[in-house]
Amino acid sequence: MLDSLLTLPNHLFETPIAAIALTLLAFFAGNQVFQWIGRPSWCPGILIAALIVVLTLVLLSVNYEVYQQGAAWLVLLLGPATVALGIPLYQQMHHIRALWKPILFTLPPAAILAAVYSVLLAWLAGATPEVMASLAPKSVTAPIAISITEQLGGSIPVLMGGLLITGVMATFWVSVLVKILNIQDHRVIGFALGINGHAIGTVRAFELSPTAGAFSSLGMGLTAVFTALFLPIAWRLVF
Amino acid sequence: MQVIKGFLILLLFLLSGDVLVTLLNLPISAGVAGMLLITLWFMLRGRMQEDVALASQPLIAVLAMLIMPGVVGVFFVAGRYADQWLAFVAALVVGTFLSVLTTLILMSRFTPKESVKDKDRSC
Repeated sequence: MLDSLLTLPNHLFETPIAAIALTLLAFFAGNQVFQWIGRPSWCPGILIAALIVVLTLVLLSVNYEVYQQGAAWLVLLLGPATVALGIPLYQQMHHIRALWKPILFTLPPAAILAAVYSVLLAWLAGATPEVMASLAPKSVTAPIAISITEQLGGSIPVLMGGLLITGVMATFWVSVLVKILNIQDHRVIGFALGINGHAIGTVRAFELSPTAGAFSSLGMGLTAVFTALFLPIAWRLVF
Repeated sequence: MQVIKGFLILLLFLLSGDVLVTLLNLPISAGVAGMLLITLWFMLRGRMQEDVALASQPLIAVLAMLIMPGVVGVFFVAGRYADQWLAFVAALVVGTFLSVLTTLILMSRFTPKESVKDKDRSC
């Protein structure tokens, strides 16, 4: 009886059902905890959900690889979900048409420099090629960043850690620099949050104002599209 | 039924994206190619399809859940990269500072002033 109880977790994780259920459960529980602690911008709900999964796996002594194989059935939906991002992109089209000039002059250099700064600094600090490939798309929204890092040969867990820290740091630096540079235009602040801080920055932008939120979504979407096209091509030329 | 039809259209665009990147040997992913193709399709038609929008809403709503298993991995692999901590601090803290600074300066420089638009209106 006790023996079968001890091996029960590993038996349940033999099919993907347990991993999928655990992922869904942690997602809802993580959101709940996130609401309770007052939606802090330094600790996204997804981080709490991930910690719940980690604790559960450790307590049940289930291997991460076993969980990952099961959860892969769910992660498969990331493909159609990425295609679905074309819908908000299409809905933003009127903003893009109205402001194509400032967008053309700022977005490509900003998105290129975001990747160049991180790769260059990581290289100077002695990072391996795998780590550089994982950190290059650090300003891109997660579903697209994952596909970029796969193209470059990076590690998805390292990328995810980098994305979370980048989102939190971008929100912090925007709030500091906006005061120093005396910028009050919410279109500029929102755009900077979206380009550098992807979804985490966009959440902060929507707290500032709907205008900042709309421009943050736009900055996030365009950075993702532009980086997905430019980074793998540039990578192929350099490495 | 409409949601399933919308989901099928998303899958067809994902597969078209895959065909495109495979045949042309493009370095971008099938998902990103599919996203661009569907946006282009809407632009050509001048409107979105109701069923695609219906299928997209729940998928976009659970995006955070779909990337969460990747975040779980961070805690299991972190030890392997401990010797490169300086690279992470440099890229994530200093790199993000520099890119935020660049964006704010470029954007302030090139965005037309809101007040100018207001003046135009009052004329």
